[in-house]
Amino acid sequence: MKKQNLLTLAIATVIVTVTASPMMAYTLLSPRRTWATVPVTVQVNNAGNSSVNDSDHGVTAVVGAIRAWGIVNSSSTGSVAVRGTAPATIMLNTNGHICTGSCLAATLTGYYTGSTITDADIYTNTKYNYTSSRETDGCSGEYDIDGIMTHEVGHVIGLGHSSVAGATMYPSVSSCNFNNRSLEADDLAGKNDLY
Amino acid sequence: MHRRSLILVTLLLALAVPLSASQFVQQPFDQVAREAGYVVRGHVVDTFSAWDSAHDVIYTYATVRVQRYIGETTGPDTLVVREVGGTVDGYTQEAIGFPMIRQGEQVVLFLSQWDDSADYRIHGFNQGKYLVRNRDGVEILVEDPVKQGDARMSRDGRFAIEPNSDTGLRMDEFVAMVDDARAGVTGTNRRQRD
Repeated sequence: MKKQNLLTLAIATVIVTVTASPMMAYTLLSPRRTWATVPVTVQVNNAGNSSVNDSDHGVTAVVGAIRAWGIVNSSSTGSVAVRGTAPATIMLNTNGHICTGSCLAATLTGYYTGSTITDADIYTNTKYNYTSSRETDGCSGEYDIDGIMTHEVGHVIGLGHSSVAGATMYPSVSSCNFNNRSLEADDLAGKNDLY
Repeated sequence: MHRRSLILVTLLLALAVPLSASQFVQQPFDQVAREAGYVVRGHVVDTFSAWDSAHDVIYTYATVRVQRYIGETTGPDTLVVREVGGTVDGYTQEAIGFPMIRQGEQVVLFLSQWDDSADYRIHGFNQGKYLVRNRDGVEILVEDPVKQGDARMSRDGRFAIEPNSDTGLRMDEFVAMVDDARAGVTGTNRRQRD
């Protein structure tokens, strides 16, 4: 690479670092809104996701993972998501006809004019393969269902995305990346802002 | 500064902006361009939202007046694009992180048909939508910073509505990239644009 290009790269890197720093913060859904009461009840449909190779296809793993938020009362359920009606329900086995193509998981929230979330449901694209914290066969090209659902439940409780790399609410995800399972300070600051 | 260096700076700056696609798999540009049924430059002349027939999902329908088909495709003068999310009778449904289409926008869209109908949707979610801005008489394509639910308000209460058109892609560059992608031109065989 020519010296001029190297200089350009160095300057660009500095600019990137400087410009990125002030943006480091969580965001809230807009308009700002929360559930009327906490803990927020989130149920995981017990059909699970067939690509998760543990005893119940990821259900127990997700029920446990999303409790990381500290304000979530989670359990498994035989019920399916009913849009517009609480409780929030995680469907691991269906895309809900909305999460297709390059979508891994999607949160669909509902609210009336005001600041109260009335429902939120999560759908999963079953064309991808997922792994869980209860799998024992390693990870190869799979996406971490614990981390993905912890991120989505962040949306359920009212958080948008964070620009802090490593935060659970950071908006990008890659296969075999397990960082989203644990909440970072920025994630907790966002939650504490809301509740 | 050499043009290639400018592009390099632009790409790095783009990386500094958080991808607004939550829980999406980022696809190569060429893949998005190849898979899209239409690539259009258009004007969103109207939008309305409605429940689906099962009263299950609110969709927003956007009427897009097509000004140009890109990538050796052609089609009708007007297309209706249907996206998840919208407000009906005071109730709002949002698919967090999904793209929005707003009345009055000048856009470039990658479009494909829904799996279950002949309606069009934005292909590749946020990777399939660009806002068109004018910079010194040249059309520039920029990422839409406003997705469903997030990125509109930061912690300090500021709204991040207007994208930074200083880091956009020139329309002629974009068109050449789409043409190359759809023609299967890769690597060193790509046309020289410097």
